[in-house]
Amino acid sequence: MTLFLSIVRRAFSVLLTLWGVSVIVFVVLRLLPGNAVTAAVGVSEGLLTKAQLAALNHYYGVGQPAIQQYFSWLHATLTGNLGISLVSREAVSALIGASLPVTLELAIVSMILGVLIGVGFGMWSGLHPGRWQDDVGQTVSVMGLAIPSFILGTVLVVILSTKFHYFPSSKTFAGLFTNPWLNIQQIIFPALVLSLGVGAAILRTTRAAVLEVSGLNFARTALGKGVSRSAFIWRHLFLNALTAVVTMSGIQLGYLLGGTVIIEQIFILPGMGRLLITSINNRDFPVVQSVTLIFAAGFVLVNLLVDVAYNVIDPRTRKR
Amino acid sequence: MTSAAVVASVVALIATGVIDTGASGATRPHAAGGTLIIGTTNSVQKIDPDVVTNFLDFEALGLIYQTLVQENAKLQIVADLATSWAFSNGNKTLTLQLRQGVKFDDGSTMTSADVVASLQRAQASATADPSASFIGSVTNIAASGPNTVVLTMSHPDVSVLEGLATVNLAIMPAAAITAGTIATTPDGTGPYEYSSLVANTSFTMTANPNYWGGKPSIGTVELETIPTEQSIAAALQAGTIQIGLLSQPTVVKTIPSSSFNKQSVLDLSYRALMLQDKKGPLKNVNARRAIACATNRQQILQDAVFGDGKIVGPVPLGPYATSPVSAICPTTNDAKAKAYLKAAGMSKGFSFTAITSTDLDSTSAAQAVAMQSELAKVGIKMNIQNLASNAYIQDWLNGKFQAAFAENGADPDPYVMYGRYFGAGADLAVPAGYSSKSLEQELLAGDENSTAAGQAKDWKTLNNDLTGNAVWIWLFDSNDYAVVAKSVKGFTLSPVNTTQLSSLANASLS
Repeated sequence: MTLFLSIVRRAFSVLLTLWGVSVIVFVVLRLLPGNAVTAAVGVSEGLLTKAQLAALNHYYGVGQPAIQQYFSWLHATLTGNLGISLVSREAVSALIGASLPVTLELAIVSMILGVLIGVGFGMWSGLHPGRWQDDVGQTVSVMGLAIPSFILGTVLVVILSTKFHYFPSSKTFAGLFTNPWLNIQQIIFPALVLSLGVGAAILRTTRAAVLEVSGLNFARTALGKGVSRSAFIWRHLFLNALTAVVTMSGIQLGYLLGGTVIIEQIFILPGMGRLLITSINNRDFPVVQSVTLIFAAGFVLVNLLVDVAYNVIDPRTRKR
Repeated sequence: MTSAAVVASVVALIATGVIDTGASGATRPHAAGGTLIIGTTNSVQKIDPDVVTNFLDFEALGLIYQTLVQENAKLQIVADLATSWAFSNGNKTLTLQLRQGVKFDDGSTMTSADVVASLQRAQASATADPSASFIGSVTNIAASGPNTVVLTMSHPDVSVLEGLATVNLAIMPAAAITAGTIATTPDGTGPYEYSSLVANTSFTMTANPNYWGGKPSIGTVELETIPTEQSIAAALQAGTIQIGLLSQPTVVKTIPSSSFNKQSVLDLSYRALMLQDKKGPLKNVNARRAIACATNRQQILQDAVFGDGKIVGPVPLGPYATSPVSAICPTTNDAKAKAYLKAAGMSKGFSFTAITSTDLDSTSAAQAVAMQSELAKVGIKMNIQNLASNAYIQDWLNGKFQAAFAENGADPDPYVMYGRYFGAGADLAVPAGYSSKSLEQELLAGDENSTAAGQAKDWKTLNNDLTGNAVWIWLFDSNDYAVVAKSVKGFTLSPVNTTQLSSLANASLS
């Protein structure tokens, strides 16, 4: 199959997945008890007269048939209108426009750090199996996998604030282009926390791939022909291990998007995760649906890119 | 990089001065009229005072808008935009004299027409004001001159004055009401003016130069949403916020007293186990009394909030506070509980289910577990079902529970508190789960009585009726906390939940 056809097939699959996600999110949200009125006024709903309640239901769009709500939302979304937040009455696109760059920046910086940690320690470990370098790598890997990011994040915040009176994230978030120095300080710590988990998984994959590739015949042949050590490591080992590393990185980037939800809470970052949690609590359906769809789109897009990357990295996959 | 390396790097950067730690933020002098940042887990959601229900919305808009009367720190009704008032016609007419020279943020002068328009807007069904019932007895609102307003009630109702203190009945310009701009552009008479709202992030106000009480010293007040109380504590210690509004005593204790003033105040709410008394074993008054007597309130207070609060009866605070907290068992009495069980024909005990929602009240599960163990001592088995917030609210509103651990708002006026649950035609009669003619009459008598001595007697009778029949099991009132940097002077946390920040009008930054 040609590269083009492969991409088309995957793109169709992506659209199907996104549609499925939109249906599931829509149904699940409606299965939850309560509605936007309940979330907005709480037990005070009981104090409202029937006329007042009717006015509120109309205001929040409660009571319309679910099918009508879904297709109304789907049609609007496909035409680029994500609707209006039931709580803030702001355009959902504006809310997402303000929070998406924060999450993207966090995810990208975390991924870069995670790949550096994972590939660096993984190569180091794989090149020294059974020795102390391997033990160090394995320790980093186990710690990264075993310590939940919310615990690591909380501990880091407590240490920085109580011991060093330093918690840059608690200042109003600074954009990358408005105040780069403050922005870096605000992003780097949550990114480090997220990157440890990501890096640990990549580390293990890289180590295993390096060990596997270094035992293959072509590797021994290359060494026998007198290839320099650096050329052997980067041209023969690294490039051949790259497919596995890219696969794991893609998977981790998807999970990393989910990880940002809790980390943004701990580090007070006004990103998509915080927007999602607040909107769920408020039963702000238009926001929840759109944010979830964007998270899902991010996940499948990353997988699509990984597939494309396979084709680029390993020509053999194009012929399957 | 490991976390140790991260910390080491930060230490190095701090040592070289590359990173501004803000460590001196708690003590660094602020310019006069500077910015005060308050950290809270909540966020301002709406800016129309007639429709808000969220505590922080009340607190924020309470600095922008004002009401005709207000509650002071002793929970007494005092003047605000009305300087004096008088009941007449057998407590069926209330005449209020307005403060003169008060200006709205748009520069216009407040008159009686604005008050009439504001109260009529609150009463209108289309507004959906949750406090409209506080002036439900008012049949006519009329201006009698530029600075006088007359409210006519359908029946004697002195509690209407207490109701007028809520931000839901704030005074706004008639012109803004007509223009329909209230929901988007706050325009009040209070010490601060609306500046900006960033959804789920911050709410900013600036000092009102035309405030009738004098321009506030602090130039800008920002309410910053910080999702967790631990993060608020961290931000305080980093010096990036000056006040943290907290509810968890465990978090407050982690903050050093050397750098901050820690304020705590019993808030105007109460925890109770609400019972559905019209069906099942709880229909039997002696079964309910057995629960009341077997309940160790002190233990529940300890387990739920580490003892940091006060055991209370139906009226937690104010001049009519319930004392003793229960007419039948002010303290735990297992022998009496067993006697009540025997009288109920349930000597071997009985079982029921109580709902909690840790989403709505993080202490409710601890309350429930403590109570479960106390009740088990006399053979009463209490099952616990924890629900998500909206599920809890739905079941609560529909009375679909046997018992519910609840945190309810309180008021110094018992009629305002319980008229909505137990009064004739009460809005919340279903979740209240109990009704009786005697309760209705007691509430009406207290509401119609305008003498302090008479009301005290009426409300004592009401308290005894509620606790003697174990209508619900009232438990405790907990503290609210404000951790304040020492650079903030003159701020005092108010016990009135909805106006906790009111002292900012007179506070300053050093």
